[in-house]
Amino acid sequence: MKVLAVCGFGVGSSMILKMTIEKAFREFGVEAKVINSDISDVSGQKADAIFSSPDIIGDIERRLGSSGVKLYGIKKYSDVEEVKASVEKLLEAKDMK
Amino acid sequence: MEQNIKERHMQIAKNAKNHEEAIALAAKPLLEDGYITKDYIDEMIQAIEEHGPYIVLADEFALPHARPGESVKKTGLSLLVLKEPVDLKGNPVRLFVVLAAKDSSSHNEVLKALAEFLMEKKNIQDVIACENTEEIKKILDERW
Repeated sequence: MKVLAVCGFGVGSSMILKMTIEKAFREFGVEAKVINSDISDVSGQKADAIFSSPDIIGDIERRLGSSGVKLYGIKKYSDVEEVKASVEKLLEAKDMK
Repeated sequence: MEQNIKERHMQIAKNAKNHEEAIALAAKPLLEDGYITKDYIDEMIQAIEEHGPYIVLADEFALPHARPGESVKKTGLSLLVLKEPVDLKGNPVRLFVVLAAKDSSSHNEVLKALAEFLMEKKNIQDVIACENTEEIKKILDERW
């Protein structure tokens, strides 16, 4: 499983989000490669899912079109419970839970 | 880069008129110490207009930052506690940590430690409850 954590610049918030996503996957006992990235770099990356803020997810959706990549909007990047809820949806969608 | 935030880069204030004023105040120690130019403050504020309030990473906590570039001279962090929350596009914020990154990697270890710190919601509330910067420094040294 490869997941992108995306923020506007790819330097600050996306690193924080990456850490929260990794923790969430660990708690589900699933291995995932989480890469932090900025919004301009998204189209070039092959990933199963993209996590970002609800505002940025809208932009990403327009950029990617119908790519089949699962998109999840996270309001608070350090909120483990919020991130876990989205990771759980992703695992269900991938039949991994 | 140092482990967390220098005590002289920490401030406690009563309130701020709006999030722009709060971010400018939070970044002031870095500006005065030559870590950033004034442009960086404008870039951080502009980033919120462009990308929304995603820098609010946890309840009452925001990490204002912008792209590494000319306006950052040295990688560093500064901290501001507001005794009264300020609104950041629908989110009340009382703890600001300004991130000034000179490049995209030099601050990664510090951010990883910050991420762990933020996942414990109690840590944020404990910093907000501090009466002086010495107490804040002590919490960060122990738990960050």
